[in-house]
Amino acid sequence: MALAERESPVALSTVAHPRAATNGGPLAGPGAKFSSGPISAAVRLRPAQRQGLRERFASSDPVPERDLTAAFPRLARLVRSRRFQFFLVLPNQVVFWTVIVVGLVGTVVPGLNFGTAITWYVWFCLVFVLMVVVGRAWCAMCPFGGFAEWVQRRALWRRTQKALGLGRKFPEPLARYGFLLPVATFLLLTWIEEFFNIAGPGTPSDTSWMVVGIVSSALVFFLVFERRTFCRYICPLSTLIGTVGSMGSVAGFRTRDREVCLNCRTKDCMRGGDKGYGCPWYTWPGSADSNLYCGLCSECYKACPEGNVGLFVQKPLTSLVAPRRRRPDIAWGVAALWGLVLYQQVNATNAFSSADTWLNRELHFPHYPNPVDYVGFIGLGVVATAAVAWLMAALFADRRYHFDRPGNFQERSSRFRSFFVPMSYGLVPVVGADYFARQLPKFLQHAPRVLPAVAHIAGFSSVRSPVYSFSLMSNGWIVLTQVAVVALGTLAAAWASWRIVGAEVAPASRHGLGVRLASVAFVLACGTAAAVLYVVMHAAD
Amino acid sequence: MALADLLERTGCHVTVLADRCAGCQECVVRCPTGALHIEPERWVARADDAACVGCRQCVQTCPFSAIVVEGPLRAGQRASLPPLHPGSTEGGTSEVRPGFSSLAEAQAEAARCLQCPDPTCVRGCPAHNDIPGFIAAVAGGDLEGAQEILRRTTVMPDICSRVCDQALQCEGACTWSLAGGTPVAIGLLERFVADNVPVPPPAAGPDGSKLSVAVVGSGPAGIGAAFELVASGAQVTVYEADDEPGGLLRWGIPAFTLPLEVSGRPWRQLLQAGVSLRCGAKVGPEDLDELLQQHDALVLCHGAGLPLSLPVPGAGLPGVEDATSFLKRGKAALVEGKALPDFVELAARPGAGRPVVLVVGAGNTAMDVARTARRLGARPICVDWMDRRFAPVRPDELEEAEAEGVEVRFSTTLRALQELDGRVGRALLARTAQHRADERPQVEKGPGDWQAVDAVVMAMGYRTDPALASALPGTPLRREAPGLADRRWQASGILAVTSPRFARGRPVGQLALGRESALAAAGLPLRERTWVAGDALVGPSTVVEAMAQGRRAAQAVLRSQPRRAGPPGGLRASRVLVAYESRGGHTRQAAELVSRELAASGATVATLPLERAGLAELADCDLLVVGTWVEGLVLARVGPAKATRRWLAGLPLLPGKSVAIFCTYGVSPKATLALMRRALEAKAATVTCEAAFGHRDLSEAGLAKLAAFAHQAQGSGHGQLPEHRQPPEHQGAYVRALSAPVSSPMASAPAADDA
Repeated sequence: MALAERESPVALSTVAHPRAATNGGPLAGPGAKFSSGPISAAVRLRPAQRQGLRERFASSDPVPERDLTAAFPRLARLVRSRRFQFFLVLPNQVVFWTVIVVGLVGTVVPGLNFGTAITWYVWFCLVFVLMVVVGRAWCAMCPFGGFAEWVQRRALWRRTQKALGLGRKFPEPLARYGFLLPVATFLLLTWIEEFFNIAGPGTPSDTSWMVVGIVSSALVFFLVFERRTFCRYICPLSTLIGTVGSMGSVAGFRTRDREVCLNCRTKDCMRGGDKGYGCPWYTWPGSADSNLYCGLCSECYKACPEGNVGLFVQKPLTSLVAPRRRRPDIAWGVAALWGLVLYQQVNATNAFSSADTWLNRELHFPHYPNPVDYVGFIGLGVVATAAVAWLMAALFADRRYHFDRPGNFQERSSRFRSFFVPMSYGLVPVVGADYFARQLPKFLQHAPRVLPAVAHIAGFSSVRSPVYSFSLMSNGWIVLTQVAVVALGTLAAAWASWRIVGAEVAPASRHGLGVRLASVAFVLACGTAAAVLYVVMHAAD
Repeated sequence: MALADLLERTGCHVTVLADRCAGCQECVVRCPTGALHIEPERWVARADDAACVGCRQCVQTCPFSAIVVEGPLRAGQRASLPPLHPGSTEGGTSEVRPGFSSLAEAQAEAARCLQCPDPTCVRGCPAHNDIPGFIAAVAGGDLEGAQEILRRTTVMPDICSRVCDQALQCEGACTWSLAGGTPVAIGLLERFVADNVPVPPPAAGPDGSKLSVAVVGSGPAGIGAAFELVASGAQVTVYEADDEPGGLLRWGIPAFTLPLEVSGRPWRQLLQAGVSLRCGAKVGPEDLDELLQQHDALVLCHGAGLPLSLPVPGAGLPGVEDATSFLKRGKAALVEGKALPDFVELAARPGAGRPVVLVVGAGNTAMDVARTARRLGARPICVDWMDRRFAPVRPDELEEAEAEGVEVRFSTTLRALQELDGRVGRALLARTAQHRADERPQVEKGPGDWQAVDAVVMAMGYRTDPALASALPGTPLRREAPGLADRRWQASGILAVTSPRFARGRPVGQLALGRESALAAAGLPLRERTWVAGDALVGPSTVVEAMAQGRRAAQAVLRSQPRRAGPPGGLRASRVLVAYESRGGHTRQAAELVSRELAASGATVATLPLERAGLAELADCDLLVVGTWVEGLVLARVGPAKATRRWLAGLPLLPGKSVAIFCTYGVSPKATLALMRRALEAKAATVTCEAAFGHRDLSEAGLAKLAAFAHQAQGSGHGQLPEHRQPPEHQGAYVRALSAPVSSPMASAPAADDA
């Protein structure tokens, strides 16, 4: 049988590769070798554990019909090409180096400077659309990680064997906080951005320096650590893209047949094979249950010797609802991101600016935003979210169940966590919609300015150009759009919460329907608060 | 049970990086103690600290480096048997190194073996002995069973266990060694088995094939080949240049390392099994053709016995000799209990003490020479220009030699020899300096020191005979494994550790992988019906490698059943390798269809992408089918895909190997097949049939063409181009016999691709 050629003569696993039977008799499958040599005769691997496998992945495995690479051979050829990611990264690379140069040497008028115009009027909004529709599409084409990866691999697209740099592992004590580190860097970057008014947009050279800062820190991390440690643990956008991207309809690269992965003795998708690198994101297609950690780089697809990896699509919100493994770092991260976006809404109100000004005067801090109220407000958001979950746990938890399990941050569980973590996942669509809605005014009012900004590089066009002051929508319509976006996100959150809480929290609750309704009410309240704040912000203007 | 006692002590702590562990179970399936399992809820590995012995295999195998193990190795104390330094070495031939004296001792050591599920020691062993298997048998007291397990892969456990440098092989690759500890004493356990259960003689093989095979050389490689051949009923004739068989085993290794009783055992058994031995028959390059006429196959195991010497002034003086001749006559004298006549003469001079023998070199050969000289009553002085830290000598041998009274001077080189009374009388020695292992030692300036010497032996090592090497293209082979290392080896963890301390900092994994390339090469004929194995193939190496290569070459002979008079009619290829280069999947599809067709007619078929079709796979097949997609721009450079061209260019010589080629194309294959055929013919392969498949041919309607190709290919195994065969009627236009003219390879063509 086909299993004999795998290095496990005493193959303790008895499940044959289902395709072996159709492949023309004994030993005729791809990868077959003639005989088990003397080495394989001495290899006596333990059987892989299959207990709990079905339960763990049944809900999150994509259906075979949604395998794009199987359905579209041209797409399969495209992603198999080693140049695939290079050509995704290249245009962004050109744009961002232009941003840096034009931001430094171009006009100081932010609206007319290509660097600021493209970054703040268009890019941020586009990235959000990509997240919501696809997932980590931006990560596949990101010029920061892309550039640093070229350097790390010493190649633009070739498969090289020796990496440049130290190739260190990211320290375990930090790594266990997973998605919380990117949240911390995101909060830091946002504070810097607010302090210097970079995204306003303010002085174009500030935007350039910010981009330079990101590229160079990415480069440093890529040269010190292995693979995409930067993208996983540091990149300020990682948590936002990962969580909001979980709403996306691309499931990422997944295994076609998990049995093949379990029997695989090379793990080329993880270690790297002749045609592809090992997964830069530390994801194994054989156990991926969401698109959270799939950077869509297609390396596993290229590397797999069995052709057992496919690019799958899924229904929206699947990667939020389906996974059985819930991560505490995601839960706390979502709460913090929720606090941050609320902060960014509230800070536009008159009441908040007077509070900030008062605090600055008392603390002798130069100007907005005061770090104390910044951290304080976000912390309050986190605490409030957690408090709701705690309250629900206190009200609904079924005391007959034992919730506590000791361990480190990733491992331990408690009654509070078993309510808080799933509820936070349900909140993601509200948070995503809120971030998106916040970017909308810049896009809808000023996106056309990119055209005069491009023309300005060549030396003509000015602020007097009619396109420069052309808006896609009036302010009233913009607010309506914002409220509509938040409403849509809230509906999605309500549905997701209903499903997640129903599947994971209700069984451990005294009142299943009650806890579902309460969690839906919570996200509806959050969504309403966000929508109301947009109206208030508009009034403040 | 010693292991159980060790487990009682706590101290190991395993941390799985829950954030990074992907639940791939590479660690779970390899943990020797079953300390790891998958936690179903999150699907990440979890470890049971109490069961962990700290061997770090999980750390080495984890593809995402998601496991950290802290704490000591719970390996227990390795049995150490100090060498027996005889009070007086003079005249001694008794064995220096002891073995285990009781089963209990051996069992205690065997209990240290972890029985690793993916044993790195097996990859470290050049013969790939099932080490955990035989050790488990020893632990259970079943020495016969252990011998039986060893016999599957080696015919000289008694010899290898005495002469192998285990630190760079099995023991260097032992899990304990890779983790920084002291390995299981595999060599001693093997020796205990071989010493207590007689090594079985070659089983009388079936008498059917009557294959006549000539083996040139009767050293370890020849012994390995002859055992394998005679056991399967072949008529084996061994040609040996010396008067007695055994090669290096007989004259190169002193009796105090390898007792005569042991070294003579293989040949006693071979002669009893009916191998015909022709001693005093030196084979030169000009004899090869004649041998080929007399025999069906030729296995060349003539070794690398040409001694190296230092071209210094005075090197031709009487009293200066090479290691080969000294070891030969020294060993003979010791065994017969006599003294060397010239030593007796030198010692008899008035006022003379022990004759001073200057041994040039301080490697393993030099140690053998010096220790033999010591036993013959001389005072040996070894000089070597390398620094002591970097010298390629086994530390145990060096220590033994020095304990026996051999003076070893490192960082010293010989500059000149001078005559005194008609023979060599004094040597000019100079100091050298070497600061790094890869640095060539520098001779320091200055006049140097004169050392009075009575005899000089050049013992810097050996090289292959250039006359025969020139007749064997590519020899001596470099043992290296370029490109991406085999991932099965990577997964075992042997390559994750760059250099274990026990292996004197040498990268055992890389060394083993390099040996693997030579082993695979031994399975490929270098000329028509001619295989090469042992030192003749790779230059001076080790006994066990030579034996393993000899066996591998013999197995290749037995598989391909070459015949002097061409193949008997009706023979079909039975082991087919279908190697393909595919981009869009069409070529892969075609390859799989061809494979299915071939398999349906009874052949054993392996279907592999080109990059995974290595030497071992090539050696293993009697028919090679190569498929490629066609690349090229609209008007130019239409031909086989670049990866295919690179693969073809990198092939070894494949004399007489039958190859069928095909390509899949979009618009037109143009000269693709012709280019492939030319590349293969440059490697001396025989292209027996070829076909180009358009996309329509891969649909249901076109399957007949694929089937026709497969059948034509299969009829053409064994490297003969059958003239009688006609292409079947239903073949497509592109399937043609080779006699048909082919279009010019350089003609430009419209775009062609496999998509």
